Amino acid sequence: MKRSGTITVPLRIALISLAICGLLFPGVVTGIAQLAMPVQANGSLISFHNTTIGSPLIAQEFNYSGFFQPRNDSASGLDPDITVQNASQQAMRIHNVTGISIAYLDGIIKEYTRYSLFFFGTTYVNVLYLNIKLADQFPSIYDKYVV
Amino acid sequence: MITPGDVFVILVTSGSVLLIAWFFSRYLLAVFSNKRTRLDRVFGPVETVIYRIAGVNPYEEMGWKSYLKALLYLNAFEAIIAFLILMFQGSLPLNPMHFPDVSWSLSFNTALSFSSNTNLQHYNGGSTLSYLSQMASIQFLQFTSAATGLCVAVAVFRGIIGKTRGLGNFYVDYTRSIVRVLIPLSGIAALILVFLSVPQSLNGYAILHTLQAGASEVVKVGPIASLDAIMQLGTNGGGYFGTNAANPLANPNQVTNLFLLGLMMLLPTSVLFLFGRMAGSMKEGRTLIIASYSLYFIDIAIALIPVTQIAAGMEVRFGSASSVIWTVTSTSFTTGSMNGNLSAYDPLVILAAMFGMIIQATPGGIGVGAMYMLMYVIMAVFIVGLMAGRTPEYLGTKINASDVRLAVIAFLSHPIIILVPTVIAFAIGAQRAAGLGTGPIGFTEVFYEFTSAAANNGSDFLGSSGNTVFFNVSTGIVMWLGRFVPIAIMLAIAGNMVQRKRYASEALRTDSLTFTAVLIVAIFILAVLTFFPFLTLGPILSYLEGFKNGF
Repeated sequence: MKRSGTITVPLRIALISLAICGLLFPGVVTGIAQLAMPVQANGSLISFHNTTIGSPLIAQEFNYSGFFQPRNDSASGLDPDITVQNASQQAMRIHNVTGISIAYLDGIIKEYTRYSLFFFGTTYVNVLYLNIKLADQFPSIYDKYVV
Repeated sequence: MITPGDVFVILVTSGSVLLIAWFFSRYLLAVFSNKRTRLDRVFGPVETVIYRIAGVNPYEEMGWKSYLKALLYLNAFEAIIAFLILMFQGSLPLNPMHFPDVSWSLSFNTALSFSSNTNLQHYNGGSTLSYLSQMASIQFLQFTSAATGLCVAVAVFRGIIGKTRGLGNFYVDYTRSIVRVLIPLSGIAALILVFLSVPQSLNGYAILHTLQAGASEVVKVGPIASLDAIMQLGTNGGGYFGTNAANPLANPNQVTNLFLLGLMMLLPTSVLFLFGRMAGSMKEGRTLIIASYSLYFIDIAIALIPVTQIAAGMEVRFGSASSVIWTVTSTSFTTGSMNGNLSAYDPLVILAAMFGMIIQATPGGIGVGAMYMLMYVIMAVFIVGLMAGRTPEYLGTKINASDVRLAVIAFLSHPIIILVPTVIAFAIGAQRAAGLGTGPIGFTEVFYEFTSAAANNGSDFLGSSGNTVFFNVSTGIVMWLGRFVPIAIMLAIAGNMVQRKRYASEALRTDSLTFTAVLIVAIFILAVLTFFPFLTLGPILSYLEGFKNGF
């Protein structure tokens, strides 16, 4: 091989790698994802009464005490879930503020309970789903607090 | 305490990974022995075009020096490209959030970090890097460093096995790693991740009104799934966000969590099986598999001793067991991605994490893990030879004094580049700029930082608080030394062995379970004793203090 090859060959391979791995690959994956799975590809956004109000994947702020509230100490700072134990404790506060029955609150907690290991492990609920359910079922209480 | 949940996670992930890796190693054998396969019709023309544009002669056989030189030049150019993109991202396209240029020292650190397969991150990607930087600096280097790791593994295998004239052709190995292994696997993995709710978009961050009136939130969508895929497959570990795989957009649920866990284990495990296939003896591969997985399971057992519960700093959707198992796996396979915050874990978990990074072969990072395992094999064969009073032999050839000397140098380079900068950091008080004290916790954090850098792991306590000129430059240099010094030495050993005469007789059966047990003990003693004084000052002291205070 020619001597000049020791510099030009790796430089060219580096640029080809940049094109394939750094541009073409993420570009093609984005194209396929946007066409075939637009909901997931854009962050699984959900609506409430025809307004997009966020993603159940990340926690959002709820400071009205009639809502379930997310934990604010977790690793990502965006943990959208709380343990069922935590949700049940909050149910008491929500009952006191709004008058919604404990039985109803326990019912929706049960409805949205998930297991961290499919069928065992920690049980948890998604805060946004619970609050959407409440806002939807009790407009007289929540209408003045929601978008 | 080990719970049914722990056992479930360990069995499902390890079991399926071992099974898939066994099959996948057959494909890898075809890729790296240039056997004809049905996929040639798809990949062959792509490779031919690449060779032609770059001016590569694919039939050239390289000795260890040319192989190493090509590897170093390529990695240097790639690091420079990534460095420039980061430095000037403010003026480059695909920056809808208008992030400014990255500082020189942080760009330097990041380019060296990702090109060395470390992925130590002194920045928070979600609020620092443009889409172009995430793709053309980060994902780009995650591919190239993983490909480099695969090349090193097959070149070292060829040398030690000795069935070929030279170590192969670096450009061919590299191109085939990218085209036939990493791109197809990452493509499939990325689309599965999108299906499981990981975003993949170039539309800019979504700013929305939240359900409760008066507040808003930013949903940071980007090319996340494609990055997730190669960050795990290539044992890179540098996440799209600063909070890495704890961030719900990068790792939204337990299914993605276990899928990502399996992805990071797949290729290092496959490469160990590949060794057996290339050597023509699956039993020789079995020795490496059993040794590395035994050490991995011991590691997990240590980490699960403390009673685990969901602590602040862990994500509810994963539960505590899989958070701890992830941390141990991520350090054992030197990936370094995290799904929780390290400061949330018990000192014993940190100790287990450090074992993985000290040994680097449990099973270690893509390609290099197998390389380190062979380094330990050479030392173990030598030790056994000394005890039995015989000439040490491996795979039918003599291991001579210079091989052992080089292996020991490669081994000792690791503690030197960890311990010296750790001592310097405290001597000049550099830890204060990162907001750290001098107690066992501050010591653990700095010691962990350099261990992680040298082991090309990338998990850390510091995160963006490590973004000081001292830590950016020092860890940058440590990461490149930690990557390329052992690679150079192991390629030299392989280059010296490739043409050595092979004998039919074997003095020592390295495919036996007895040797495997000796290997495990040798690794444990060599690696752990070297670091014992430092481990005592850090996580062990923290653990004992906690014990004294009744936790």
